[in-house]
Amino acid sequence: MATESDLVSFSTQVTCPDDFDQFWDGVLSELDQIPLDANVSHDPLRSTDAATMFQVTYRSLDGLDIFGWYAVPAVGDGPFPAVLILPGYKSEPALRRDWAAKGVAALSVAVRGKLPSSAQFNPGYPGLLTHGVEDRDTYSYKGVISDCSRGLDFLLSRPEVDSERIYCCGSSQGGGLTLITTGLRHEIKAGVAGYPFLCCYPESMRMLRSYPYDELSCYASAYPDRVDQMLDTLRYFDAVNFAPRIQCPMVVGIAMEDEVCPPETSYAAYRLLNRQRELWLFPNSGHGNAHGYPARENAWLQQRIGVSPA
Amino acid sequence: MTTGAPSSPAAFWEQTEAQLAETPPDVFLERDAFYSQPEWEVYRMRYYSSGGHRLFAWLSVPHGDGPFPALVRMPDYASVHDIIYTSLRHRAVVLNPTYRGQRNSDALVRASYPGLLTEGIDSPQTYTLLGAWADALRAIDVLLAQEQASIGTVALTGAGLGASLALAVAARRSNVAAVAADTPMALGHPAALQPGLGYPLAELDDYLRAHTERRQAVEGTLTLLNSANYATAVKAPVLMSAGRFDRGLCPLPFAEELAAALPDCDLRVYDGAAEGGGHEHAHVRAAWLAERLGIST
Repeated sequence: MATESDLVSFSTQVTCPDDFDQFWDGVLSELDQIPLDANVSHDPLRSTDAATMFQVTYRSLDGLDIFGWYAVPAVGDGPFPAVLILPGYKSEPALRRDWAAKGVAALSVAVRGKLPSSAQFNPGYPGLLTHGVEDRDTYSYKGVISDCSRGLDFLLSRPEVDSERIYCCGSSQGGGLTLITTGLRHEIKAGVAGYPFLCCYPESMRMLRSYPYDELSCYASAYPDRVDQMLDTLRYFDAVNFAPRIQCPMVVGIAMEDEVCPPETSYAAYRLLNRQRELWLFPNSGHGNAHGYPARENAWLQQRIGVSPA
Repeated sequence: MTTGAPSSPAAFWEQTEAQLAETPPDVFLERDAFYSQPEWEVYRMRYYSSGGHRLFAWLSVPHGDGPFPALVRMPDYASVHDIIYTSLRHRAVVLNPTYRGQRNSDALVRASYPGLLTEGIDSPQTYTLLGAWADALRAIDVLLAQEQASIGTVALTGAGLGASLALAVAARRSNVAAVAADTPMALGHPAALQPGLGYPLAELDDYLRAHTERRQAVEGTLTLLNSANYATAVKAPVLMSAGRFDRGLCPLPFAEELAAALPDCDLRVYDGAAEGGGHEHAHVRAAWLAERLGIST
């Protein structure tokens, strides 16, 4: 179990590449050249009196079509505030009708490799975390992060969405992607990153023997001559290098007995946040299972968004 | 070939066993050099289940001489089943099998989530998820039949659907010594059909709202899967966990009824939702399983 002292005394060896901003500006510019080609299909089976559900796809990097569940309030004309919900490593994207029932549009993104966005790119689980890690331009997460950014573009393209009131959240990989996407895209007004993955790769892969980080350890064992190359690539995709670029309020939630994402590494990202920041520590809790975390996330976002508790 | 819709839970199991008996497993084991570790070997395991479904499982075997205790972690309601990472892998053979439709077992059918819970649910003959029960039985049979490691005591674990599968296998296979079942899915119980539940159980209400006239047919299919139907046949001790506020997997009334029906069940109820006992119960479960498997931690 980590103590608060462990969190504070931890320091990461991760440094930010000199051309970090240049690299990501280039990726965003490349995305800007790709037509969104959004397809929005009503799903009557999953719709209710309070929430109209849509299955959506939009185009992302490498021409891949990315799937999402899109919940829109069935009551009212909008424009509605919106939440971009980013997915865990292997879990399914959630249908968030509860947000729509509160008057908030919600897009849950299935990034590339994840069903049903896996038709054109499918490295598997395990597999995604090391796919193409030899080079920043072939690394899977260049696409994964692009898919999240394009999710925001989708919301911004929607007439029923208030583009000034878009928020972001996710847990585990979704927490790491929340930090990363919010660091890249300043249209997001606030975020909640729970148990964030994708932080401090060199330390995370050494501190634990659990997946997904252990995929990196296995890669290092299998290809010892490529470790430096791998770690150099990962600097471009480490949430701690995005955290200082976040310009909105952000919460980081940490389970003190997290056996998947070391608490120290999540705290390292939190410590680098410049703007309004909030830290939630959950003692006696492990990865993704702190009692009360979902309710707290909902309440915090609702307060930011300005909707009444359901 | 055994066909036709089973008319009762007993007929369902009889038919399932008969279909498995007609299908040679044709087990293929392949060592995975990338994921093997100095302390254990990792294998990709493939075998046939009923209906010609070629299934995948991760198998972890510790170094040293057997027989080894074995832990089977039954798959949850999700597209991916984890590669093995329990701390027990140091001392135990561990099998993480998948069911038809999950990733790597999806040559004939690819499941969607949500979707699988209601696909073909109007009849047992068309209900895709029903095959998961056959696949769970097949998993333990191939574990015992494989020649890579000698197997001693066997324990099962799982959460949600995985817990339901674990209990079903324990009811059908006398060589199961212990079951750790977290928040078993309330399939077949009236609590699963209430409006206003969370996913995945909410899939059932979605379906019934759209097809109100099919309620009787849906209930008829799901009753085959009600854990309470086979609970008395589970002779192994069961450690069960539930969340007091769970509205998506294992509503408390179902957990309490099931625990009461199991001959030897230790039900732990936590102030949680679908995560059940969460981290607190993870420690309880690990210690309980280690004791049942004779592993010192």
